[in-house]
Amino acid sequence: MDEDYSTGSVDSDREMTRLWRTWRTVFEMLQDRGYEVTEEEVQIPLTEFRIKYADPMGYPDRNKMKIQARPTEAMSAKYTPLPSKSNPSPQPDCGTIYVEFCADASGVGTKQVRAFNHFVDENNFHTGVFITQTPISPSAVRLLGSLPGRVCEHFQEQDLLVNITRHELVPKHVLLSPQEKVRLLERYRLKESQLPRIQVSDPVARYLGLRRGQVVKIIRRSETAGRYASYRWVI
Amino acid sequence: MSSHKPPVRNSLPATHAASTASAPKPKPNASRAPAKHTTTTTTSQGPNQHSSSSDPRHLAIALHHAHRIQHQKDTEALILDRILDLITLPSSPTADPANPSATDAHALKSALIPFQPSDYDNLIQERNIEGHCGYPLCPRPHRSENAGPNGSYRITWGAKGSGPGGRGRSMNIVPRESLEKWCSDECAERALYIRVQLAAEPVWERRAADVAGGQEILLLEEGRAAREGRADGKGKARCTGEQPSVRNVTGQMENLSMDVDSAGREPGDVAGEMARLSVRDGDRARALAMERGDAVEGTWGDGRVGVRVRENDLGAAAAVAPRMRPGDERGGSIEGYVPAP
Repeated sequence: MDEDYSTGSVDSDREMTRLWRTWRTVFEMLQDRGYEVTEEEVQIPLTEFRIKYADPMGYPDRNKMKIQARPTEAMSAKYTPLPSKSNPSPQPDCGTIYVEFCADASGVGTKQVRAFNHFVDENNFHTGVFITQTPISPSAVRLLGSLPGRVCEHFQEQDLLVNITRHELVPKHVLLSPQEKVRLLERYRLKESQLPRIQVSDPVARYLGLRRGQVVKIIRRSETAGRYASYRWVI
Repeated sequence: MSSHKPPVRNSLPATHAASTASAPKPKPNASRAPAKHTTTTTTSQGPNQHSSSSDPRHLAIALHHAHRIQHQKDTEALILDRILDLITLPSSPTADPANPSATDAHALKSALIPFQPSDYDNLIQERNIEGHCGYPLCPRPHRSENAGPNGSYRITWGAKGSGPGGRGRSMNIVPRESLEKWCSDECAERALYIRVQLAAEPVWERRAADVAGGQEILLLEEGRAAREGRADGKGKARCTGEQPSVRNVTGQMENLSMDVDSAGREPGDVAGEMARLSVRDGDRARALAMERGDAVEGTWGDGRVGVRVRENDLGAAAAVAPRMRPGDERGGSIEGYVPAP
């Protein structure tokens, strides 16, 4: 009996720690994308996380774990398209983000995704991030992307266990604003299709929530040149 | 000439943008396209709008491809909707999968027309996530055994006498997931019977006739009934004029069971292919015998082989010496490159 209890608590400890790491990565991701999050939220220690989100058994309670964040001024500016004749004062193409952790341990299908889509749509969130413990079914993936006018992304908890952009071999990716993009294309006399490309499904592109048509600046260290910047067009 | 051009130039991109605005396209700024094109004549704002509007043929090609992609996306959305509908299918919780209600069976058959086998697999997976048996007309929950941490395979035993040499039982090792898709082996058979009838190519690549009429999908029970009806007709030499539709269908069923891959093709095609496959005809039989070493033609019976020597006649033209060409006196060219003297 005693042994059972101890293995249970080891199990719950393990799961709690893993989820805490995911949680922190989510906040780092929101910060890197340019949402308003406080330093305390990003740096939450494990003990505090456990107090806040553990159920009486010591296991994490995912139903409590929901995040909302608004974009900062800088991010709104970056996501505002250039004014054109038909649209002289464009609105920024970003808004409140909503992150939900799915509580179902196995088999996430269209039912959960439909509920998530419905919630995002009803509360008028611009972006939704759905985080599950297991892979979701192909039709659920398709359903997640089918919400018109909104962006819904999916991650697995284990994808966010470590923050990949903090790895020393991953160079810094910086999203360019539309103005910067136009300036870049003019300076090098390029069409955007002449730039090197990066896929939307690239892990870093997914982390930054890049969208098709944006241009990202990648800054690497170089032995000969000190720093070396390259640009990639998201397709 | 140029006075006629602007309306064409302006109106077509607008229609293009209207048709593409609903879904994201490989073209990144489809929504901004009309604004750009209309301003082309007045100002030059970006580096890249001249080429796209210069030739109406390019535009037509782009439009054509955009429409195709849009059609493809629409179809995928339709299939997704159908999957969502089929998850909830047997309309009553007490429905019998062996004897489904006519409306349910019809709904299933009509919904499955645009499906590929992979879409059908997705449907089964979705039903399993919901806890239903994978066969869309079965209301029962799927099997689930709480296995240990490493119980990911199961051993299934066949019927008595199904083993090697007709003795014992045959044994299969199957992954647990494939057993747990269904509520019973009967439902598995029914579901897979439908799966082999689905066309392998996506619906936007099929011919219009296949999509509209095509072959109707049969449930396992209907297929069996049709086959039995046919056997009856043959055995008792009954007048077979009474059930032309059933005979038609059984003819199709034969094609299906013989060659699953050619399910989408015409019956005549399949028959031709079957004929090619058969080894009864002379040429192929001889070739096969040769390959097996059964009967080698041209032997004299005592082990020696008849050898016929044939000259390889290349034509009587004599070899011609190369002639000097202009420039050869300076060394000629090296693969087209003439070095400077």
